[in-house]
Amino acid sequence: MSDTTRATSFFKFITDWPKITLAFCVSTIIALATSVPGLHKDTSSDAFIAKDDPVLVYREHVREVFGLEDPIVIAVINEGPTGIYNPESLRLISEITDAVSRLENVDPDKVTSLATESNIVGTEEGMEVSEFLDPLPVSQQEANRLKQAIADFPLYLGSLVSRDESTTLIVAELIDQKIADSTYHQILETVSELQSADNQIHVAGEGAISGYLATYIDNDAKTLNPLAGIVITIVLFVAFRTLVGTVLPNIIVLGTVAAAFGFMAAFEVSFYVITNGLATILIGIAVADSIHILSQVYEEKVASPDSDRKTITILAMSKMWKPVTLTSVTTIAGFMGLWIGAEMPPMKYFGLFAAIGVAAAWFYSMTFLPAALSLVNVKPSKLFAVGNQNDRYGNFLKKLGSVALSRPAVTLTVALWIAAVGILGTTQVLVQEAQIENFQTDEPLYLADKAINRRMDGTYFLDVAIETNEAEALYQPRHLRRIEALQDFVEAMPAIRGSTSVVDYVKQMHKAVNENQQAFYSIPNDPDLIAQLFLLYSASGEPTDFEEEIDYDYRQANVRFNLPTADYQLLTKIVPQIQAYVDEEFNTDEIRAHLSGRVSVNHKWLKTISDNHVKSLGLSLLFVFVASVVVFRSFVAGLFSLVPVGMALLLVYAVMGFANIWLGVGTSMFAAIAIGLGVDFAIHTLDRMKELLAAKDGSFDEKLIDLFPSTGRALFFNFAALGLGFAVLTTSEVPPLIKFGSLVMTAVSASFLAGVMVLPALAKVVRPKFLFGAAKGKVGRRALGAAAGSIFAAVILGLGVFSEPSSAADSLPDADSIIAAVNQRDEGQWVSRALKMELIDKRGKVRFRDTIGHRRYFGDEKRTVLFYTAPSSVKGTGFLTYDYPEADRDDDQWLYLPALRKIRRISASDRGDYFLGTDLSYEDIKKESKIAAEDYRFKTIGLEQVDGYDTIVIEGTPVSEKAAKELGYSLVLWHIDPQILMSRKSIMWDVNGNRLKTILNQEIRQVSGIWTTHSIKVENHKTGHKTTFTFSDVDYEQEVNANMFEQRALRRGK
Amino acid sequence: MSFPKPHLRRRLLAASALCAGAAQLATASPLESLEFSGSLETHTAIEFSGIKFQTNMITISPEVSLDIGATSRLTVVGRLNVDLNDRLEPGQPPSFNRAVLSRRLFFGDDLNAEIREAYLDTEIGSAFVRLGKQQIVWGQADGLKLLDVLNPQTFREFVLPEFEDSRIPLWSMNAEIPVRDLTLQLVWIPDTTYDDIPVQGSTFAFTSPLIVPKLPEHAQVVFNPVDKPTSALTDSDFGVRLAGFSGGWDFSLNYAYHYFDRPVLRRTLQEKFVELDQQYERTHLIGGSFSNVFGDFTLRGEVGYSTNRYFLTTSFADVDGVVRSNDASYVLGLDYAGISDWFFSAQLFQSFLSNHQDDLVRSKVDTTLTLLARRNFMNEALSAEALLIQGLSDGDGLLQLSAEYEWRSNVRLKAGADIFYGSRAGLFGQFSDADRISVGVEFAF
Repeated sequence: MSDTTRATSFFKFITDWPKITLAFCVSTIIALATSVPGLHKDTSSDAFIAKDDPVLVYREHVREVFGLEDPIVIAVINEGPTGIYNPESLRLISEITDAVSRLENVDPDKVTSLATESNIVGTEEGMEVSEFLDPLPVSQQEANRLKQAIADFPLYLGSLVSRDESTTLIVAELIDQKIADSTYHQILETVSELQSADNQIHVAGEGAISGYLATYIDNDAKTLNPLAGIVITIVLFVAFRTLVGTVLPNIIVLGTVAAAFGFMAAFEVSFYVITNGLATILIGIAVADSIHILSQVYEEKVASPDSDRKTITILAMSKMWKPVTLTSVTTIAGFMGLWIGAEMPPMKYFGLFAAIGVAAAWFYSMTFLPAALSLVNVKPSKLFAVGNQNDRYGNFLKKLGSVALSRPAVTLTVALWIAAVGILGTTQVLVQEAQIENFQTDEPLYLADKAINRRMDGTYFLDVAIETNEAEALYQPRHLRRIEALQDFVEAMPAIRGSTSVVDYVKQMHKAVNENQQAFYSIPNDPDLIAQLFLLYSASGEPTDFEEEIDYDYRQANVRFNLPTADYQLLTKIVPQIQAYVDEEFNTDEIRAHLSGRVSVNHKWLKTISDNHVKSLGLSLLFVFVASVVVFRSFVAGLFSLVPVGMALLLVYAVMGFANIWLGVGTSMFAAIAIGLGVDFAIHTLDRMKELLAAKDGSFDEKLIDLFPSTGRALFFNFAALGLGFAVLTTSEVPPLIKFGSLVMTAVSASFLAGVMVLPALAKVVRPKFLFGAAKGKVGRRALGAAAGSIFAAVILGLGVFSEPSSAADSLPDADSIIAAVNQRDEGQWVSRALKMELIDKRGKVRFRDTIGHRRYFGDEKRTVLFYTAPSSVKGTGFLTYDYPEADRDDDQWLYLPALRKIRRISASDRGDYFLGTDLSYEDIKKESKIAAEDYRFKTIGLEQVDGYDTIVIEGTPVSEKAAKELGYSLVLWHIDPQILMSRKSIMWDVNGNRLKTILNQEIRQVSGIWTTHSIKVENHKTGHKTTFTFSDVDYEQEVNANMFEQRALRRGK
Repeated sequence: MSFPKPHLRRRLLAASALCAGAAQLATASPLESLEFSGSLETHTAIEFSGIKFQTNMITISPEVSLDIGATSRLTVVGRLNVDLNDRLEPGQPPSFNRAVLSRRLFFGDDLNAEIREAYLDTEIGSAFVRLGKQQIVWGQADGLKLLDVLNPQTFREFVLPEFEDSRIPLWSMNAEIPVRDLTLQLVWIPDTTYDDIPVQGSTFAFTSPLIVPKLPEHAQVVFNPVDKPTSALTDSDFGVRLAGFSGGWDFSLNYAYHYFDRPVLRRTLQEKFVELDQQYERTHLIGGSFSNVFGDFTLRGEVGYSTNRYFLTTSFADVDGVVRSNDASYVLGLDYAGISDWFFSAQLFQSFLSNHQDDLVRSKVDTTLTLLARRNFMNEALSAEALLIQGLSDGDGLLQLSAEYEWRSNVRLKAGADIFYGSRAGLFGQFSDADRISVGVEFAF
């Protein structure tokens, strides 16, 4: 059977069973769409780096040890003669500090301002530590004294108060960076209530920028993407002037978008800032497939007006399935190239899910569309009345075509000139990114950033984390001098305005105990003296005052450098220099250092863009090329199909180069989009040309002239839909979206023109063999082969890319022994208890379940059974588990469902899944307050109080990716109370590194001598859902009958 | 991971005067353990064809339970059912198929009441015994009946409702006796109640030639009285089941000696008319079930062999229009719960006839495939599922889409669509005109 007849019988089958096909398509679309709400948004810029990249690991480390987060910075500026040193300004600073500290997402211990910081001065007994604004100066004299105190404390100059005394900062660190944008707005609101006439207040800082930027772009995209959809719909209407022609493509769009985002949610891939672009490109591609098919349907309708709709559908589909399949294959290949080539997760996934979306668009175009067309009454479109002769679009295209064909040399020369200009423009492209530049220049955040950074040392931070081998090593003068030298070296760089480290405090204290003589502003030579300085300080200062500079056992320190800007071009100059210095000077057995901080992270991922951009583009082009070669069985065809793509790319770069649009995060995606959209124009043209050239007699021009009113017209509407759809984005107020819209427009225009004009002209001049071969080859099978080949290659390469070795974490032995002790804790041989579960959704709506649970050990094997008793809708449900002591043996689990009256065996391999609607996982339920030692590597990381109890904080990282995936956690922090060997608070992070949930064990008291938690509160930070478990009637005494743990007990419900 | 969800429509019952009486007794002090619960459920279905109500049903199911001593417990579930449209069982349906004690009480055409379940649970030594009107369910298959033969079923909405609701509980004795690591179940069912089959004119009346015999055109039909077993003793059903768990496998061996729950339709061609006889026939069923878990997958299976089954033939040469054959069947199911909040399940059902003749309406091998996908949302407050039952032998099938939302702990909102397709001669295709969408609310109390 030939491919054509096979295709015909396939479409016959589809049109014979339209209801089932539609039901199937609609239900898959619904199924996929239902996943979409589960999509997790991760709009942070950290998302752009692989989680195990050392830069990110160290930044996490710095966050944990020193508690340093990206802050929001509030500046108070007074341009009067006294600067901020007047009672009014100081009162304002104090009020803002208080008000901001009270905000929910602000860590009150991590607010730094004149109102929170302490002065260190020498006294008779040694030194005194007192707060600068305690008491608040009420007279100008007092304000002047404060001015002197700050002047004597070099550390604060430039960082806390500007050197010209006009500005001071209130720096607030956030608890949860993810809601930074709402905190930013709260702070704006708070300070607007505190406005005072002589003082300006500005709010900026990295915390505000990265938090707000995402929502800033996202919000605009949310309104503009649908608008683009509407515009595309209007174009469809203009193209066909029928309801069917307008509605059906939109359903395909729905299916395509649902597939891409549904799978994205199902595979738990986050929605990144750049994912906004994915929706738009998928809309474009999905619409393109339908435009070509519908155009054919209307042409067939004109050709044979009396045929029934089924016949017309089959006829049109058997002609169009091939080019649509080919474009899908090549587009998928292009996106696969991006998937494999890109290193940053958002880009990788952009490639992967774009490919999935394209596949879905193809699938629905091949199934849903013919099924729907065979059911609905396709009215002949007026526009297709007489073979397109009267249609102005067809005529226009025909003219365009004859211009290109009659003077092919001119056409090609013009194209070459445009390409040359493109190349010239490409050389002008600057790899540059500065998040602040994504805001409009009249946005308050932008103004604030500029105002503050003009006056202060800078609100961008580069951290250097210093690590020594043993506790108290940082009392050693030699280490401190090394840090001092690092500060001197880095501060000598022009872009660095200041720095802060523990050395500055040591020097200040040294000076203070020596009657404030400037000569003693130095590092003492005696380690004991240094230790004593800290001790003296602690006599009158807060113990947490240094926590941002040094850890509690004086083993690790952090040096923070301030920069007024953090654009990529600057960073590429200074970061490598600092790195080289650190590698040279901090590379001994006893002291090491790592670059960290937002600046360092930004540098890393921007560097990835510039390094990786060419590679991923190259791979995309290669894949498109290979797919085209295989599809047309011709090397030359591969080159031909790259022409529109290449033109589009060059023009995109030219626009970027000449319009000074930087190649940054967002813009690096445009090339991929240009490839994805551009290749379709090439394939449709080439396929039709091949058919026309083989089928008719006459000159080359005569044969080809039919290309323009039919395929050319369809391509034109393809172009118009995309071009106008994206033009909508240029009406945005957000600079990145304006760029996005205009660049994509450029790309489609270039591909369209190159497709309908340059390709025919080039073919006329070159006369490539592949266009003149047999028209109906086994292209279908080849397309299939190409698809299979590219997908296979992509998977193999993808596997290679993903299977990077994970780095081993070092663990302290004491953590293991604590965990062992926790797991040894007596739980009693058996227990019975009542458990009330409350499931609370994010709006506070509560659902409850009453249960009775029993547990009993059979040797080392633990069996647990849980019976639901209320509400009556779930009454009778029972859950039974056998938990075996062997680590490699999966548990056995059964669930009795009264609605089925059957006991269901259920898989226990997804231990990380949520247990029957609660926020606890099966593993959490099963382990109760114990910990699966074989799944984690443990490390003690500190001491912390929980509910007033001292706890040891133990960090657990899963031993393998498999364990992490099974557990659903990438990191767990347990706060273990050593008195009762139970975790009072556990915090889990999901496999993507996002904070997932917090579990609080409360009301822990002894029952029959066994420590028992009576309340478990779980909050899921991702969903906002909460679960509380309240235990009562806990009984360890009464033996639980062994036969309670058998299946028949489940059926009986007791 | 997610599971077949307890569809809360459930048991809970409908009870009536008996229950009310019991509730009054509850005030007495020895009856402290008395528990009263129940549900009220509405069910509205709209047919696609002609856009009309298929049913507008309200079901109240009160349940009372009472502990008697430490080891015994009495449970009574009633059911009161009103169908405002009365198209599923127009008028008062015949009740010949039910034993007298298992009949529903009809008040007019729209309203009926019954004791749904009424049983005493007790322990005798290590054995568990349940005596009274109850459902006894065998097997591992979902939505397909192979070993689940002990209780008959009402077909008033064909197979659309949950089996929990469509199964007809029977007065039975059920004992589960531990034998070492195994459980031996002995079942005795003296209740001679069989399937409720919709009469002609009902929405879901059978028309498929698989069930309705082919008669000569224009022939006058004479229905002879139904030959239904009536003796609680000599006509009772028996069942034995041995179940265990070993090496990760759950398994059972089952044997039942029972009346097949649908009568055999024999026709006799007379010169001027056709006589139709309906007789219930006994069959031996021997079979077993198994299940085990492999990673994210659960494998389930059932096999069964039943004797003396009767199948319709189209040949007028055949004396009575039915052919006797034994039937060997199996169901193989695979569940996948590897994606959070999703549950997928596929089942393959095949049945083979030992004595297949060319004129049989049924093919020698009958194959049915079921595919189920369920997705939970919002911590299982909302669930949506699609179930496709595809008959591969007749090319027909049923697609069921449903969603259920737990609005409050005790209030659930439901919506769904049931779409039949394929040849009208098929088991599912015969109801192509009954496609419907439905909505409902369930209050639990």
